[in-house]
Amino acid sequence: MITVQGLKKQYKDAVVLDVESLEIPRSECFGLVGNNGAGKTTLFRIMLDLVRASAGQVLINGEDVSKGEAWKAKVGAYLDEHMLLSYLTPDEYFATLRKIYGLSEEDLKLHLAKFTEFFNDEILSKKKYIRDLSKGNVKKVGIAAAMMGNPEVVLLDEPFENLDPSSQNRLKKFILREKETSQVTFLISSHDLNHVTEICDRIVLLEKGKTIKDLKEKELMRGELNEYFGT
Amino acid sequence: MVFDFIRLELLKSIRSTAFAKSALVAVFLGFLAILLLAYVFLLGFVLKEIIIKILEVVDAIDFVNSNLIYFFLFEFMYRYFIQKLPVIELEKFLHLPISKSKIIHFLLIRSFVSPLTLISLLLFAPFAFQEVALKFGKSSGVMWLCSILLTSWSLHWLMLWFKQKFEDSLIGIAIVFGVMLLGVGSSYYGWYNLGNILKPLFELASISPIPLIVLLLIFFGLYFMAYQYYFQNAYLEDLGEEETIRFANQSLGVFSRFGMAGELADLEWKLIIRHKKSRTFLMLSGFFLLYGLIFYTNPAYQAEEGFSHMFIFVGSFITGIFMIQYGQLFLSWNSGNFDFFLRNREGVNALIKGKYLLLIGISCMCFILSVPYAYFGWDFLLIHLATFLFNMGVVIHLVVYISLWKPKPMDLNKGAMFNYEGVGIAQFFMIIPMMGAPYLVYLPFALFINQYAGLLALGILGITGILVFPKLSALSINRVMQNRYEISSSFRQEL
Repeated sequence: MITVQGLKKQYKDAVVLDVESLEIPRSECFGLVGNNGAGKTTLFRIMLDLVRASAGQVLINGEDVSKGEAWKAKVGAYLDEHMLLSYLTPDEYFATLRKIYGLSEEDLKLHLAKFTEFFNDEILSKKKYIRDLSKGNVKKVGIAAAMMGNPEVVLLDEPFENLDPSSQNRLKKFILREKETSQVTFLISSHDLNHVTEICDRIVLLEKGKTIKDLKEKELMRGELNEYFGT
Repeated sequence: MVFDFIRLELLKSIRSTAFAKSALVAVFLGFLAILLLAYVFLLGFVLKEIIIKILEVVDAIDFVNSNLIYFFLFEFMYRYFIQKLPVIELEKFLHLPISKSKIIHFLLIRSFVSPLTLISLLLFAPFAFQEVALKFGKSSGVMWLCSILLTSWSLHWLMLWFKQKFEDSLIGIAIVFGVMLLGVGSSYYGWYNLGNILKPLFELASISPIPLIVLLLIFFGLYFMAYQYYFQNAYLEDLGEEETIRFANQSLGVFSRFGMAGELADLEWKLIIRHKKSRTFLMLSGFFLLYGLIFYTNPAYQAEEGFSHMFIFVGSFITGIFMIQYGQLFLSWNSGNFDFFLRNREGVNALIKGKYLLLIGISCMCFILSVPYAYFGWDFLLIHLATFLFNMGVVIHLVVYISLWKPKPMDLNKGAMFNYEGVGIAQFFMIIPMMGAPYLVYLPFALFINQYAGLLALGILGITGILVFPKLSALSINRVMQNRYEISSSFRQEL
């Protein structure tokens, strides 16, 4: 699904990302962990063609992300609020996305219905701009938007941050369900080791831009990570 | 404590991204401010000469006294548009263990340190010493000057209170409009003579200290009023109030016919309506529609036959002011959400086409609204048509293309007056093609054949530009696509 080859990002002398190779198969839930500044967000941004790689390439379904745009229809993402139109109300924002993805009103209704519990009546039909919502609610809007248009790949940066405990739980269940029923590939970066080890099939540990651990054994994950982070 | 505040202020201005990135712009603006103040000072020096020699008034003091009120009404207007409120700084300090009153006193007094404070001093001090002191004695001159300064500075505090309370509300606009009417009503229509009514007050100021004392009380009273108001409203919820939703779930019907680009033009319209900076731009282009009234009726620009060449410039402005003002910051308007468009397929393409559509739509509106100028002569309609076509076919592409040179991020929720966020060198250079291009086409034809041939040339070139619109707009789209990484990271303020 996603192939990373010899990827490197360099700002002058500082190498912030150096990933030799990475292969993420379809419907894998891929977790990315690492300390602050390890390069998690940079990796995601390069995957989304928001930042230019100094060397190497990212292929999604065999297409180089920096060369074409067809992959964008199949990839959903929420990294930060730059990806939202914060001067719209959530309803207007979803309506705009509906038109961009070419969905019908019915599709949108069905899609948002999946989030009824997650939204907890705080998001829809509220007369508030996204920029005036609380951080957690902004995140909810972003996540629901990233899941629109039946994406095959979804990238989420710190999806659990700022969410209340019950919403975190709902999000976890939702991710697992989508993976099961629609074969969605998830890429999730997080500092919350409990959550990632719980939902991810595989966790890659970044340190100073390099992948230093690639954990696939669910039983061993938590132990190894706790050892690394000293928790 | 106070010195710490001052140090923080200095650091803030030196380290702000805007300063570092456009030090040149800052230098230029500083230079401009000094230049303007120097002009004011110069004007102050020759004020007496102007009144006596050019206006042929015998008693200069009498004349100044009876016109001072208009100066203050004017000052009220420009202070309303230019003066900045200090509250934005407040939230950074509120949570610290510094007493609220100290913070507010500091912010208020700091707001006083501004070029605006100097204007009345520079303008009237020479006159006070050359004329008033000469006639009534030194102490009278000082008293007279001080009462003018106190009036002007009282307006400063009044404005701090007034803007915080009424800005962006209909009442505020109504009051400002009322003040304008007060001045216009008395001077143009002569319903009453405001100058003469208030003249004795300023005359008294040069003989007796009573007005000075009263004004001093007013000065401190207004300071206290502003202080009280800020003190009572020093809560985060009062500072950045949540806006009521404008145009909720509504769209401009016209645009929906243009597919995706139309959708995005509609989004852009919402962006304009919902942010302070863009709203001001829109309001300004409304004002600029009246620009023609200054020029078209002015005897200085009446040509013997045909029309003044100057009118090409006026026409370009009237029909294209929004395109020029809004377009020069083309992508910066979307600096907060550029990644959204990058992430969607064909997003950038649709965004730029949508922006073009909106600019064209609003320019069409401006053109249609300017049709009544035909009242002054059919020539003006022709000029507007030619410059409108030229704007839409040629200038729009120049503006957009130049604006794509290193676009900078900006905060849309700040006011537009004297806010140079997002402005870089490109925006300064833009003025050259904007003003030059129409004349480059028009003048050769106008001088060698006749003026109407010049207009025809503008129109034809404009129509040609409109016909090859897809090709020309593709240039801009490609340029954004090529620079997308740089633009996106500079908008995220990573550079």
